[in-house]
Amino acid sequence: MPRLDSPAALETLRQRLIAARAFWPVRLILSSGTCGQASGSLAVLAALRQRLDRPDLRDSVHVRVTGCQGFCDQEPLLIVDPLDVAYCRVKPQDIEEIVSQTLLEGRVVERLLYVDPRSGARVRREADIPFFAKQDRALISKNRWVDPCNVGDYIAAGGYSALAAVLSWFAPQRVIEEIRASGLRGRGGAGYPTGKKWEQCRNAPGEHRYVICNADEGDPGAYMDRGLLEGNPHLILEGMLIGAYAVGSEQGFVYVRNEYPLAVQNVRVAIEQAREMGLLGRNILGTNFSFDVKVARGGGAFVCGESTALMASLEGKVGEPRVKDVHTVERGYLDQPSLLNNVETWANVPDIIRRGPAWFAARGTETSKGSKIFALTGQVKNTGLVEVRMGTTLREIIFDIGGGPRDGKGIKAVQTGGPSGGCLPVSLFDLPVDFEALAEAGSMMGSGGMVVVDESVCMVDFAKYFLKFLQDESCGKCVPCRVGIGRMHEILTDFCEGRGTMAQLAVLEELAWTVQNASLCALGKTAPNPVLSTLRYFRDEYLAHVEERHCPAGVCKALIRYEIDDALCVRCGECIAVCPHGAIQEGETYVIDNAVCQKCGICEDACAPEAIRRTRGLVHA
Amino acid sequence: MDLSQLEGIVQGRGSDPFDIMEVLQDIQAAYHYLPEEVLCRVSETMGVPLIEVFRLANFYKAFTLKPRGQHLITVCMGTACHVRNSPRFLDEVRRRLKVEPGGTTQDGEFTLETVNCLGACALAPVVIMDGKYYEHMTPAKLGSLLGAVRVQEGRPLAHA
Amino acid sequence: MPKLVSMIVDGATVRAPAGSSVLEAALEAGICIPNLCHMPGVHALGACRVCLVEVIPVAGSGRTRLTTSCTLEAREGLVVTAHSPNAVRARRNIVELLLAEAPNSRAIQDLAVRVGVRAVRYPMRNKNCVLCGRCVRVCDEVWQSKSLGFVGRGSDCHVALPFNTRPSTCKRCNTCVDVCPMTVTPCPGPQKAPAICGLCESQCSMAQNTPDTCVWCELGRGFQCARWQMRGLKAGIR
Repeated sequence: MPRLDSPAALETLRQRLIAARAFWPVRLILSSGTCGQASGSLAVLAALRQRLDRPDLRDSVHVRVTGCQGFCDQEPLLIVDPLDVAYCRVKPQDIEEIVSQTLLEGRVVERLLYVDPRSGARVRREADIPFFAKQDRALISKNRWVDPCNVGDYIAAGGYSALAAVLSWFAPQRVIEEIRASGLRGRGGAGYPTGKKWEQCRNAPGEHRYVICNADEGDPGAYMDRGLLEGNPHLILEGMLIGAYAVGSEQGFVYVRNEYPLAVQNVRVAIEQAREMGLLGRNILGTNFSFDVKVARGGGAFVCGESTALMASLEGKVGEPRVKDVHTVERGYLDQPSLLNNVETWANVPDIIRRGPAWFAARGTETSKGSKIFALTGQVKNTGLVEVRMGTTLREIIFDIGGGPRDGKGIKAVQTGGPSGGCLPVSLFDLPVDFEALAEAGSMMGSGGMVVVDESVCMVDFAKYFLKFLQDESCGKCVPCRVGIGRMHEILTDFCEGRGTMAQLAVLEELAWTVQNASLCALGKTAPNPVLSTLRYFRDEYLAHVEERHCPAGVCKALIRYEIDDALCVRCGECIAVCPHGAIQEGETYVIDNAVCQKCGICEDACAPEAIRRTRGLVHA
Repeated sequence: MDLSQLEGIVQGRGSDPFDIMEVLQDIQAAYHYLPEEVLCRVSETMGVPLIEVFRLANFYKAFTLKPRGQHLITVCMGTACHVRNSPRFLDEVRRRLKVEPGGTTQDGEFTLETVNCLGACALAPVVIMDGKYYEHMTPAKLGSLLGAVRVQEGRPLAHA
Repeated sequence: MPKLVSMIVDGATVRAPAGSSVLEAALEAGICIPNLCHMPGVHALGACRVCLVEVIPVAGSGRTRLTTSCTLEAREGLVVTAHSPNAVRARRNIVELLLAEAPNSRAIQDLAVRVGVRAVRYPMRNKNCVLCGRCVRVCDEVWQSKSLGFVGRGSDCHVALPFNTRPSTCKRCNTCVDVCPMTVTPCPGPQKAPAICGLCESQCSMAQNTPDTCVWCELGRGFQCARWQMRGLKAGIR
């Protein structure tokens, strides 16, 4: 790729790339992000390349390998472009049929199409798949058009035109005004007005300014940022460039969590390519503006998603937050003004510049503009990355897009906002998803994690899970978080093991207040949310555990036992064969010896007539 | 202790405050853990106080101060995996291999670790064995997972 | 001449250099704000959270918030209270947690009495460190030895030497031991039962009637409240 010495040179290159792409008669698009690869996309790619390595196909079929396209449940997804056919869950052995039938004869391979579970009909086009129909995929749809390791794709799709416009015609202050007018709020969870943050950074006194992309995405169950960074790293770089220009920064960082090796790799490649072309480095596009970006890999610490901890980590120290009476936008990395924004926030910037703030503000609600990507996971049929306008209801997301419950059991709640958020019951599913509505109900939208929970989940155990997570991830500096969360976990463990008392319930609530109000950083302050929200909406489950020593969902091992229903048992012996503990006795009837049973559940899974079930355990008060 | 790899890792680094983290990550990748001797040398060469190096090594989960086993099993304990019963799977691994998360089996074969979300939630519960992702894991599938390792190496199954 | 600013702390007007610690300014003015990890001469950590104050927003600009007075910088017009119901409630709960962690620490026992902890609602543990960070900071900032530090994360966090070996940078000054709130010999009071004996109360009865005024109590003999330390430092004593 040539070095571009002016915005005009970029335009010329863009037209050339678009023209070149128009000559490819057939385009195959294969989704191959982390989950695509985990589902075998690399083997599919290898089979594809091998099959296409023939004189008649080599030059007429172009294969574009993209990042995650969002419908993770159906990956690897293979789209045949001119025919607009989307094949799901493709395997290497399907390639022969796809090439010979679809590519060479123009016929669709019916069995590989998506089946709409409600109508039973097969769906041919990606856009018609119900999962995509209700979404507003402003950001995630871009992944379809780019191979993350090919900057040409990004430019051909309009990339870096916003940067060129900014450098050609916008004064830095105007850029800030556009972002303010759009109403964009931080996508990392706190929802701070982005334009206001940029303004504060620009005005803060300091010799150097830094622009940082928070790609730490520690919330378990959230991977929106991975999807964006892996699949379209140039989008984030362009956003950062525009931000750097607006606040007057010359150095930026992308802090990526350690558990995303593909994202780290793709961002590094993108940075190299951008540098080669003069889109990063000194005198970008021949102007006075200079900016460069370094990638920093996290060491594996959830707390490093917090701004002060992230910057401490960038400084080569442990990720311990500091008291935030003075915000990082004034005193951040190396005590200098630092502009820290989330991956998705940066990703929204180029379109706001290109399409104008009014376009962005026209979507969403009064206080929450634009679209938001959610990672819809858990006990829902269609798991994946879902992008919707702010204000879409939980019901629409979980049922219309998500397809409803996965395993046929009733949906009980949805957990949003990761460990900082809370659980909302089905009765609240008509709430619109935005920054304010969910927070008022006792949860928060957070960075986008949305875990659907069905009847098989015990809410007390679920709250305990979050406390354990936070206990592990706490930096350990302050008393309320290090000790308080531990004591809350201790109490919930007592509940789940049949030792709970009502007095402890009162102590739990008092502790929750203390940890929420007295902790040093947001990790501690939001830690009680899962407990508080489950106490608010699922108090009956807590009372069952404490007063009756009963786990309604049948999860807490100390409160359940496994039992074989003799009427349904067909004496196949499968359970005895698979039981790792030798707990099932064969006789006239099959009986589980409770003294030996470890409640691993393997027998329950293996029993075809479903004769094994969980009942109340024999716990003495 | 072979310190020859260390020179290449440390060379040219030290001007950026974050370099120490990059160095530690590269050492972890090269040696599969952070040996004490290597860390002392890093402290001297890069001028970072030993206590600071030691703190970094202990704070971040990516680093281990003890050698790892031949095979690394990482069980994801993220929220999506949790609601699809990853704790049951973890319990089965602990029972079968007689090892706790963070530890290595007696014969040095397997190291078990947990991670709080890999971002592959559609495949929950997810387990990584030697860098390869395994999806929708249940206790019943553990046997074949362990067996896969043995098949690759052409050895008989020990942990049946 | 540093610029002096005027603040209101617990209803009293306090003047202090701009940017200085609200906690130190308050202590100097004779206002009692209990504290544990604070130590003059080293940077404020805000880790124990005992010195919490409630910051009252000026001109109706929002909610009140709790923050540590040791890290709060003095500025013109700041209004805080260390003894509002919220601050007292938070402080009491925190000290109760500390007492359940380390019931055998004389300093923490006295702190518990001072802030009004009447009962401990958790099973008692018996730690010998509450991670106040005094030893770490004094080694790093006063002696510039950097020989020990907080190692590990969350509940595993503990004070340690690198690889549990005394490094060559250690000057063997023993200051880490001197400043530790755990090293004062605990009183002979009955700590075997998981309850507070209440005997210390007899020494601090005045203190309960005037929670927000310093009564020059001898909290934790040998480990004195920062007000004693500051007085000592100024007068050249100690």
